[in-house]
Amino acid sequence: MKTRSRSQATILPPLLLVLALTPLLLMPLGAIFVFAGRGGLRSLLYTLSQPDAQFALRFSLLVAFGTALVNGVLGTFAAYVISKYRFRGRNTLNVVVNLPVAIPTVVVGTSLLLLWGPIGLLGQFLTPLGIQPMFAPAGVLLAHIFVTFPYMLGAVKPVLDELETTYEEAAYTIGANRWQTFRYVILPALRGGMFSGLLLTFAHSLGEFGATVMVSGNLRLRTQTAPLYIFAQFEAGNIETANAVAAVLALVSFVIFMLLQQVTQQRDRGGR
Amino acid sequence: MSIILKDLTARYGDTIVVNQVSLDIADGELFVLLGGSGSGKSTILRMIAGLTPPAGGSVEINGRDVTHLPPQARGTGVVFQNYSVFRHMTVADNVEFGLRIRRVPPAERHQRSTELLDLVGLGGLGARFPDQLSGGQQQRVALARALAYEPTVLLLDEPFSALDVKIRAQLRQSLKDIQRQLKVTAILVTHDQEEAFELADRIAVIERGYLMEVNTPELLYHEPRTEFAATFVGGGNVVVGRVAQGQIKLGDVRLPLPPDAPPHDEDAPIRLLFRPETVYVSATPPAEGSGIHTLGEARVCEEMFSGSQQRLRLEMRGFQDVRPLSPPPPYGRRIFHIDALQVSDRAVALNRPQPGDRVWVGLRGYHVLNPGGLKVLIAYADTPSGQAAATFGALLASAAGGLTALLGVTEGAQSAARSPLAELFSRGAETPASQSVTRETLEAVARRWPGGPSPRLTLKVREGAVAAEVLAEAQEGDYELVVLGRGQNGLGRVARQILERTETPVLLVREPRPQIARMLICTAVGEPGKTDVRFGGRVARRTRATVTVYHVAPPASAPWQRARITQHMAEAQAVLDALGVPAATKSEPHEPGNLVAAIIAEAEAGDYDLLVIGAPAQQHPGRLRWTDFASEIVRHTDVPVLVAPMMA
Repeated sequence: MKTRSRSQATILPPLLLVLALTPLLLMPLGAIFVFAGRGGLRSLLYTLSQPDAQFALRFSLLVAFGTALVNGVLGTFAAYVISKYRFRGRNTLNVVVNLPVAIPTVVVGTSLLLLWGPIGLLGQFLTPLGIQPMFAPAGVLLAHIFVTFPYMLGAVKPVLDELETTYEEAAYTIGANRWQTFRYVILPALRGGMFSGLLLTFAHSLGEFGATVMVSGNLRLRTQTAPLYIFAQFEAGNIETANAVAAVLALVSFVIFMLLQQVTQQRDRGGR
Repeated sequence: MSIILKDLTARYGDTIVVNQVSLDIADGELFVLLGGSGSGKSTILRMIAGLTPPAGGSVEINGRDVTHLPPQARGTGVVFQNYSVFRHMTVADNVEFGLRIRRVPPAERHQRSTELLDLVGLGGLGARFPDQLSGGQQQRVALARALAYEPTVLLLDEPFSALDVKIRAQLRQSLKDIQRQLKVTAILVTHDQEEAFELADRIAVIERGYLMEVNTPELLYHEPRTEFAATFVGGGNVVVGRVAQGQIKLGDVRLPLPPDAPPHDEDAPIRLLFRPETVYVSATPPAEGSGIHTLGEARVCEEMFSGSQQRLRLEMRGFQDVRPLSPPPPYGRRIFHIDALQVSDRAVALNRPQPGDRVWVGLRGYHVLNPGGLKVLIAYADTPSGQAAATFGALLASAAGGLTALLGVTEGAQSAARSPLAELFSRGAETPASQSVTRETLEAVARRWPGGPSPRLTLKVREGAVAAEVLAEAQEGDYELVVLGRGQNGLGRVARQILERTETPVLLVREPRPQIARMLICTAVGEPGKTDVRFGGRVARRTRATVTVYHVAPPASAPWQRARITQHMAEAQAVLDALGVPAATKSEPHEPGNLVAAIIAEAEAGDYDLLVIGAPAQQHPGRLRWTDFASEIVRHTDVPVLVAPMMA
C-alpha cells in the first residue's frame, strides 16, 4: 500500500505540470504548424518562395550571423577583461554590459533613434554627410548587437571565472606570454561556453522584434526581418503567409535549441 | 649559490605577509619552506616565480637579479597544489608546451616528453587526456611539464596536499628520486612537517611572514634555537625554568646547565626543550648513575596506544616558578603537562601505565633554547613623555631580558612636504609630529641605559611621519611589547592602531616610576581576562614585581555569577603562584558607570608602578569599544598603563 501511494504521489506533480503547460506552451507552438500546413506543402513552399518572404528570412539570418560574429568577439573580450583584470570601475562596467537584458527592447530602439536618427545626438551631424544608419540594415545590426550583447558574456564569463588563475600562472612560468596563454590555454577552455554563447546570440537575434521595429522603419525588401514580416503579414490578414515564415523561424530555433542542449550535456559529461 | 633572497617583503593592503626574509639556497638543494596556513610561505614561492610582485627586497637566481622580471623570463618550473594541467591538451602536449613555446622542433620535443613521462612513471600514457588520469598521475604530468624546459629552479606549492595519504607517500618518494637524479634545485612549500622532514636537505620555518629558523631536519629537531621551531616541529615539551648558580632550577629540581648552552644571566629565565621520546616513564625512579635526570612523580592523565608506540600525557604537580609553554598549560591550575612517548615492545605494551596511575618521570636529555625574554620596541621622542617612555621602557626592557629596539623618527624631506596633512591626521597622537630624532640623540639615550649599553639594545632610525613610521616598525618587527610616551589624549591613534592591527600589547608612559615593584592587573571574567593575567604574570615574573589582581564588575546578583567570579580569581591566583609571582586578588562590585573611576582609585591608592588592563567584559556591546574603555583609564591616571589586546 505504502509504495503504491508513494508512486501515485510522484506521478501526480509532473502530470499537473504537463496539464498546466499544455495550453500555455505546447498548444501555441502546435498551432503554428497546423495553420502553416493547412494549404498543403505546395502552398507552403509557394508562400515561402515569395520575394518578400525570401528576403525577410535571408536578411534575418544574415543579421543574426553578423550579430553573433560581432558579439562573439566583443563579448569574449569583455568577459576576459572583466574577469581577469582588476581596475577601478570594474563593477560598474559589469553592470553596464549586462544592462541590455533589463532594458525593454522598444526603449533600446528609441534610444538608438535618439542617437543615430536624423535629428539624433550624432545623427544630426552624420545626415548632412549622407550617412544615415537608422532605417537601414546597419541600424538593424546596431540594434541587435545592443540587445544580444549580454548573452555571449553570460556564457563565457562564468567559465572564465571558474578557470583558476593557476592555469594562467602555470603558462606564464612555463614561458608563454599573455597572448600565447590566451590562445593556447584560455581560449580552448572556453570553447564550450563560446559555442553556447554564439548560439544564444544567434537565436535571440533571429527573433528580435521590439528594437528592430523601431530602428528599421519596417521597409520591405530593405530592412524587414522575418519577425517584422510575420507581423506585417498578420496585420494585413495574410495569416497563412505569416504562419509559413513563423514555422520556419520556429524550426530554426528548435534546431539551435537542440544543439545548445547537446553542448551543455557534453560539457557536463566532460566534468567542466 | 643558486637562489638568494634578500629582505624579501610582501604586503597585502596594510598587512605585511612576508617580512624581510633572506635566504641562500644552494645548487641542487631540496629546500622546504615549512609553515602553517597564512604564514606567507606560498607568497615567498610566488615571489620567486614572479607571480606576486614583492613590496621590497630582491630575488637573485643563478647570479642574476630577477626581482623585476616577469615570470616568463625567470625560467622557473612551478607545480601547483591543484595540478593546473591543461585539460584540453594530451599529457604529451602538456609536457611539450614549454618546448613548443621555445620553438623546439617536434621530433626533439617528442623525444623529451617521452623521456620525462618515463621518468615520472607515466610512460605510454602520453596520448591520454588529463581527465582520464587520477589526481596523483595529473600531478606527475605537472611535474614533467615543469621539468621539460630544464628550469633553473623547481618550485612546488603544496604539491601533495590534494592527494590521498597513500598516493602522497608514493609521489613524495618519486619527487625525491627525480630531484636527486636530475640534481635540480627545488623549493617546496608545505604545512606538513612529516613531508618536510622526509624530503628536505634544509628546512626554513616560516611563521606570520617571519623566517623563524633555517636548518637541516636533524638540527631543527634536536637543537632548535627558537621556541616556535621547538614546538612547531615535532611534539615538544617546553618549560621555562630559571638559572641558579650555574644550574637550571625547575621548581625544586636542579639540572646541570650544558656547557654548549647559549649564555644565560644568573637568575634569568631559561627555556628547556625535551622531546616526548626522551622522557623516562616508569613505576620506579631512575637508577643512580643511569644518566637520567629525575623530575619527580606524575599522574598519567591520557594514554594512547597505537601499536608501535604509546603516547602519554603526564600531569606534573607542585612546581613553583616554572612557566610551561608546551603542551599548552591548563589555565588556573597548579599543574603542568608533559608529553611522553614510549616505543612499545611486548613487555611495555602489556604493562603500560593507565590513566590515573602514578609514575616516575625523568629526562634522558634536554636542550636549552636561545634566551627569550620580551622583545620590546621603545618609541623615543624629544618630549617629556617620550623621555619618560624611554626611561621606564628601559627599566622594563632590561628586566625583561629580551631584545630591545629604540626607535627614533627623522622627519625626511618627503614627509616635511606633506606635513600640513600629516599634522591634521596625527591629532591626538602622543608624539608631536614636528619632533625629529637623530641617531646621535638615540646614542645619547642609550648611554644612559640602566647597567650601561647592552648588546641586546639596537638603535633604529626611520624617516617619515612619526605616527606612520612607529606603526610600520611595530608591524615589521614582531615585537611582544611596544612602549610609547603619551600626552593628554587617552590612547591616541598610534596605540590604537598597534593594538588593532598587530595585536601587540602597548605600554603608555607619561611619568616614569623609579622601579617596577608593584603591579595592578585589572581583569574581567572570561578568555580576554585570562590574557591579562597571563601576560601581566609574564612581565611580573621578569621584573620580580608583586601583583594584585583586581576585578571590578557591576554587582553580580545571581549566585552562579558570583561563583564564576570567585573561580576566575582563584584561577588567576593559581596561575601567578605557579609562575612564582607573589600575588593577591581583590574583587569589588561597582555600578557600570563607575568602573573606570574604581580602577583609577585603586591604582592611585595602592601606589602601583604599572597598571595592566585588557578587554573589559562586553557590558555595552556595540556602544563602547574596548579601546575606548582603555582610553578612559589612560586619560585619568599618571601611572604607566599596559594595554593587552584582545587576542594576545
